[in-house]
Amino acid sequence: MVLVSAVRDYVYRMLQDISGMKVLILDSQTVSIVSVVYSQSELLQKEVFLVELIDSISKSKESMSHLKAVYFLRPTSENIQYMRRQLSNPRFGEYHLFFSNMLKDTQIHLLADSDEQEVVQQVQEFYADFIAVDPYHFTLNMPSNHYYILPAVVDPSNLQHFCDRAVDGIGAVFLALKRRPIIRYSRASDIAKRIAQETALMYQQESGLFDFRRMEMSPLLLIVDRRDDPVTPLLNQWTYQAMVHELIGIQDNKVDLRSIGKFPKDQQEVVLSSEQDAFFKANMYENFGDIGMNIKRMVDDFQQVAKSNQNIQTIEDMAKFVDNYPEYRKMHGNVSKHVTLVTEMSKIVEERKLMLVSETEQDLACNGGQVAAFEAVTNLLNNESVSDIDRLRLVMLYALRYEKESPVQLMQLFNKLASRSAKYKPGLVQFLLKQAGADKRTGDLYGNRDFLNIARNMARGLKGVENVYTQHQPLLFQTMESIIKGRLRDVDYPYVGNHFQQGRPQEVVIFIVGGTTYEESRSVAQLNASNSGIRFILGGTAVLNSKRFLKDLEEAQGIARSNANVV
Amino acid sequence: MILKELRRRSLLGGLCKTNTMKDQSFANGESRYRLQLRKGAATVGLPPAWVDVSEEIASNVQRARVKMNELAKAHAKALMPSFGDGKEDQQNIEALTTEITNLLKKSEKKLLQKLSAAGPSEDSNVRKNVQRQLATDLQNLSMELRKKQSTYLKCLRQQMEDAADLEMNLNGNRPKEEDDDLDDMIFSEHQMARLKQSEVYTVEREREIQQIVESVNELAQIMKDLSVLVIDQGTIVDRIDYNIQNVATTVEEGLKQLQKAERTQKQGGMVMCATVLVIMCFVMLVLLILKEIIF
Repeated sequence: MVLVSAVRDYVYRMLQDISGMKVLILDSQTVSIVSVVYSQSELLQKEVFLVELIDSISKSKESMSHLKAVYFLRPTSENIQYMRRQLSNPRFGEYHLFFSNMLKDTQIHLLADSDEQEVVQQVQEFYADFIAVDPYHFTLNMPSNHYYILPAVVDPSNLQHFCDRAVDGIGAVFLALKRRPIIRYSRASDIAKRIAQETALMYQQESGLFDFRRMEMSPLLLIVDRRDDPVTPLLNQWTYQAMVHELIGIQDNKVDLRSIGKFPKDQQEVVLSSEQDAFFKANMYENFGDIGMNIKRMVDDFQQVAKSNQNIQTIEDMAKFVDNYPEYRKMHGNVSKHVTLVTEMSKIVEERKLMLVSETEQDLACNGGQVAAFEAVTNLLNNESVSDIDRLRLVMLYALRYEKESPVQLMQLFNKLASRSAKYKPGLVQFLLKQAGADKRTGDLYGNRDFLNIARNMARGLKGVENVYTQHQPLLFQTMESIIKGRLRDVDYPYVGNHFQQGRPQEVVIFIVGGTTYEESRSVAQLNASNSGIRFILGGTAVLNSKRFLKDLEEAQGIARSNANVV
Repeated sequence: MILKELRRRSLLGGLCKTNTMKDQSFANGESRYRLQLRKGAATVGLPPAWVDVSEEIASNVQRARVKMNELAKAHAKALMPSFGDGKEDQQNIEALTTEITNLLKKSEKKLLQKLSAAGPSEDSNVRKNVQRQLATDLQNLSMELRKKQSTYLKCLRQQMEDAADLEMNLNGNRPKEEDDDLDDMIFSEHQMARLKQSEVYTVEREREIQQIVESVNELAQIMKDLSVLVIDQGTIVDRIDYNIQNVATTVEEGLKQLQKAERTQKQGGMVMCATVLVIMCFVMLVLLILKEIIF
């Protein structure tokens, strides 16, 4: 509940002390931040009767001075410009300004200068600068996420924006938690190192703000790179939340079904939030088979209720029906939402033959056997009903695992892929290998670097797995386990500065530059539930599925290529 | 409750301040001019008229809540065994219930008529949202009232059954004692008296139950009307970002509709025909009356 309740608390404090009818003005990023934690009906309870975006407010000239304006914006120069214009021609009675991160002094001076009519009642900083999608999972939803892949020289200004946003988001998380962390980062990644150092610099510069009461154990901030584990975003998922994101796509806890077919008006966009939907909260980490059974049970319950509602004989029955009608309606909406989602996903699984593809994917990710893997991948490449994106993923997974063994067969696969898939951009797999190949990765992705891991894998292979489709554990899981045991190697994950801490931290924030996946947030939630004594929070620059990951790779490849041509 | 009171006071306070400012500006010509230049309108700070309606509805809701607390106390008192015939209590309960139901019905009518907004302006969005919030409050209140009434109904019925059972038991025991004729006669008189009393009691309780059922149905009607306005929690309509997107699209749609309407208005052939016909009708009517008067 940590992240969600922190942001909710901020929003509550913004609105609580201001009496009267209010209008809430947000910018395109803070809209997402507020929408995932606060609902429209809750805003209405707080007498916020209008919600607008700051750019559309500027266009209208209607004066509404009986309303008090509450602004919640990110402190960007663009927003400051909008604010200056609006303060010089005020439309509302009072102005209360809240910013989601630290304002620079120059920005405050600019605002003060343009407030000629003294309509501003307060300016505060409330550090809700991240989107809290789940209690222990946040994202920054960065639109141009691909910059983490490129080296610094290619586009320094955009990369600086990227790093700034990441540092702002991380700073906000710790300010919301009121702690100051010790920072470690992934050795092999330049961008992780850069973000870690810039975060440390921010703490030094704003030491007044971060002067919290030092508890015995500072929390740990671990900054890792997506390229340490490129396998997890490429895999197909079979647990509810991850599967919906992989097959359809979840954005700010909303699912847009319009892209996959025609639906009635109230089912075109649905909300999947563990805070508001008890069924989803209970089932978000369950696998597809179990979800099917649970949904069937829910539908049966609902049918019971519906039948008893049709059987209205006496006035008492009528009264009972009207009493229960709001509940009935809510249940009906919820049932149809989940049934629609599962039906659509089943259709997609059928079409793309995902059961077949995913079995091979899991083998590639978890088990050994190069020869068998090569055969399986070749067969699937020859199979007509496998879609282009699935073929690409299979070849990538094979290449990531067996890049060193048998380069001839690897070339064969590349050629076959190029000939089969018309839309395949040549060289993408090689680009991936260059970025995330075995030499570039920290940590032991396949468990074949040290003897302990090899032994563990063999033991697992002998024991057999419960479910072939969900046997993959993301690398993050191993990292978290090492932290719990206090055995995170300094060689792989050095400290910034010379903070050296004995013992285990009690709170750990892991930030993945390049994006997180819902499979990883599931691991985090499961570890948190197992009472290991450490509370983990996961965050990233975006939430990835295979489409998004591949898109980032393609864009980075395009930029790198054009850069190379220019040079 | 305190917050609502403060809100009303602050709004009124704002109004008062504006009035005094206006007075000053009337006294001093120059400052009035500056005020106009800056804010652009003389009605600075005055909320639009519909805000008064929303204030009224809010205060009705408040009063209804207070009455509901009183009703709960009256219910509890009526259910306790008493030595009197409890007529006062029943009348009190009836009066309170009708009062609350009327308050709710009045508020609901006002809400649906006066507060409905037309046109895609920002003000209409504010109105729509105010309407939604008041509708949620009203619906919650009517549900609460119904729950209270149904529990009271249940308790009443239970009491009735208990009383009937008790009477049956008492009456049933008597026939066993057949020793004395005199005793029989006396007892049968007692029996008759008690029977009559319990009948009267039952009839009254029936009437009460009937009334409550009626009011339950009325409330059901109110709830049905309001349910259109109330947001379903947890659905996409309850998301802030969805509503912002929708506002943008509705505004565009509204503009298109307005333009279309303007175009059809200009080609007002239909309107002219209708006007001509109406004028002809009046002329004929006048001629008819003249004819009657003259002849």
